[in-house]
Amino acid sequence: MPDNETAQFQRAVLALNGAPSDARMVRLVASLAAKSKAELIAVHVVEIDWTLPLDADIAGRSEDVQRVLDSAEEIAEAFKVRLEPVLLQARDVAAAIVDEATERGADLLVVGLPYRKRFGGEFAIGRTIPYILQNAPCSVWVVREPMSEEAA
Amino acid sequence: MIGGRRSLQGRKPGDRRVRVDRPHAVYFRYTGKGQLTAKEAASVPTTPGGRLIAKIRAIVLGRPLHQDEEIGERLSKTKALAIFSSDAISSSAYATEEVILAFILGGAALAALQWSLPVAMGIAVLLAVVAFSYRQVCIAYPTGGGSYSVSKANFGRLASLVAASALLIDYNLTAAVSTSSAVEQIVSAFPSLSDVRVLIGITALGLITLANLRGVREAGNIFAVPTYLFMFSAFAMIAMGAYRIVVLGEHHAPPPEVVAATAETAGAVSIFLLLRAFASGAVALTGTEAIATGVPAFKPPEARNAATTLLVMGGVLAILFIGVTFLATNFAIYPTVPELFGTNVEHKTVIAQVAETVFGSGSIPFYLFQSFTALLLFLAANTSFAAFPRLAAVLGEDGFFPRQFALRGDRLAFSMGIVLLGLIAASLVFIAGGRTHALIPLYAVGVFIDFTISQAGMIRHWLRTRDRGWRYRLVINAIGCSATAIVAVVVTSVKFVDGAWFVVALIPILVSMMLFIRREYDGQERELHVREDLVIEGPHREQRVVIPVNGINRAVIQAVNFGRTMSRDVRAVYVTEDPDDAEAIRDRWERQIPGVPIFIVESPYRAVIAPILAYLDVLDKAWPPDKEAPITIVVLPEYVARHWWERLLYNQTARRLKQAILGREHTVIADVPYRRE
Repeated sequence: MPDNETAQFQRAVLALNGAPSDARMVRLVASLAAKSKAELIAVHVVEIDWTLPLDADIAGRSEDVQRVLDSAEEIAEAFKVRLEPVLLQARDVAAAIVDEATERGADLLVVGLPYRKRFGGEFAIGRTIPYILQNAPCSVWVVREPMSEEAA
Repeated sequence: MIGGRRSLQGRKPGDRRVRVDRPHAVYFRYTGKGQLTAKEAASVPTTPGGRLIAKIRAIVLGRPLHQDEEIGERLSKTKALAIFSSDAISSSAYATEEVILAFILGGAALAALQWSLPVAMGIAVLLAVVAFSYRQVCIAYPTGGGSYSVSKANFGRLASLVAASALLIDYNLTAAVSTSSAVEQIVSAFPSLSDVRVLIGITALGLITLANLRGVREAGNIFAVPTYLFMFSAFAMIAMGAYRIVVLGEHHAPPPEVVAATAETAGAVSIFLLLRAFASGAVALTGTEAIATGVPAFKPPEARNAATTLLVMGGVLAILFIGVTFLATNFAIYPTVPELFGTNVEHKTVIAQVAETVFGSGSIPFYLFQSFTALLLFLAANTSFAAFPRLAAVLGEDGFFPRQFALRGDRLAFSMGIVLLGLIAASLVFIAGGRTHALIPLYAVGVFIDFTISQAGMIRHWLRTRDRGWRYRLVINAIGCSATAIVAVVVTSVKFVDGAWFVVALIPILVSMMLFIRREYDGQERELHVREDLVIEGPHREQRVVIPVNGINRAVIQAVNFGRTMSRDVRAVYVTEDPDDAEAIRDRWERQIPGVPIFIVESPYRAVIAPILAYLDVLDKAWPPDKEAPITIVVLPEYVARHWWERLLYNQTARRLKQAILGREHTVIADVPYRRE
């Protein structure tokens, strides 16, 4: 949990991946943003594979995709915080998130991390978060979901 | 819902992303599979006039509240006590006077000093029984509706509607009586305002209506302060007075006028007089049922909080009533009525004289107490505004009242019920000329009928459920039922000639009206009912399109094209009084719109609507009788006006035609608007 000083931000980009941990992440950031009147931008990126054109009509048609952003907006509203939902299509999710945060001039980027293990028991962090940690121009918070009872 | 897409370049040459527009997001939110929830923007009117009205509403009534904010609109026990109890608590300001007055009018003014306190204590016992009974009602029937719900569950439809009618009448009277009574307090202080008393009363009711339309919690904020100011100042008055009587041994002798007036009959107290005094003082109980009607307005746990509030209210009312009566009898205070003091003496209420004796005549605390009393009497009307709309909503849900009474307004209040109560109470104040005594004979009759039905219902409830401690509770309700039934009979018979007959006659009228409404709804439901096992196939009836036209223009062509999408049987009808014009139109029509026949109806009597209707009738009659009647779609080309004044110039015939066709068998009207580029 960030201390009061690190919690100071004016514009945060929240990268949503559609997992249950999104709600936890939005609640955490919205509760902090409510105090500092910060602006929130929720970004959900739909990865488009190389068999389709990048601007194919995919994300706009999917109710599930829209619901990811709508749910985040609803949670933020409960904290009386303005949240701008942004829907993106990209070949590389991590690059799209970093580019969006850079273009928006965000001073904080928040990403959720599901607790997963590879075959063999090693903790799996994936490709997206390391890329963001390496390339994001602003602070990055990683909100890892709790271990399942089985994993613990 | 497909939106636009915009390609954006990332920091690295290969990193491109596409931002996808979300057109639904302004107005809706996806909340489930195939489920959209409307946002506030979707409820905002689209026309400038509509937006202006919405803005004015927001200023006057406050911004519209979200459904989820309903829980925030619920009342805490302290606010609920103020909202639902102002009527009951305010009655302590005049109940003692009613008891003493009964003795005076019965020619036993001196006996009032001896018997008023026991009578008040008897009423307090009845109050305890009624309060305990309604406490059980809150817990057993937490959906609200009070005695209506109790009698519905235990006696069925008719008894419950009698209870509901009695309550509806009494809530209206409470609002009118307490407003008139408060106006009288103001007029007593400022006699020059006597001519505008009706205006003051109606304005006050208008303000109370407005406060309630702003929402329950806000009304609680507005009304809590005066209720508590009265309560605490009355407690202080009773404590100070009791100290002087009990500790200092202060007692006053009755005024000489009273001794002189009652010398011959002193001490003659009949059972009937005691009963009459009891019935008069029992007006203190009015308003006790309001909490049981409005249980859902409480914060969770609703039933428990309502039950607690009800007991606190009963306790406060009992202490105030007995306390004021104790002080009045020990200080030998009588209302300065003409029967004792002649017509030259200015009327001074018992509670005002008690306050004068305790606080000192002309002292600041005395004036403060008087103003708190007047303010509370004004706000006593608010109890009705809290309870009536809720009862109307419960009746609306059950189909005995128009259904819109069950709908909440922008501020989550039952706006229709609030407005209706405001209008009826204002009319009563107007008819009675702002004078309380004109309304008093109608008052309290309904409440006691209601108490009796509700307690009888609770007896049945205990016999049916046999919950823990049912025998003890049944006894309480049986005592309460008998006592309230006696009071109901006494109150009705004492006031019958003066006006109670009106209430007694109105109850069956209201019951019949509610049964009529329910029958209408039941009939409609039966007509619209679709069997659950039925699988709906595609449409099988033939369709034909009839387009009344006024010539050939873009609006007509748009309507003809629209009609062609629905059926192959499309025809235009042109009504004219000029045969030459008819021929010209036909030539042009056949040349320009060859696939659609035009039927010219010459109308030498210059009528337009009736010939079209007659043409539709002829079409129907010409249909083969062995075939199922087709659906006739009347397509009306309409020119869309850009300004309000343009509406006066266009589409008048179409509007009349629409009115005439509406409700015609097997006929559908389709408006095809033509908008100017």
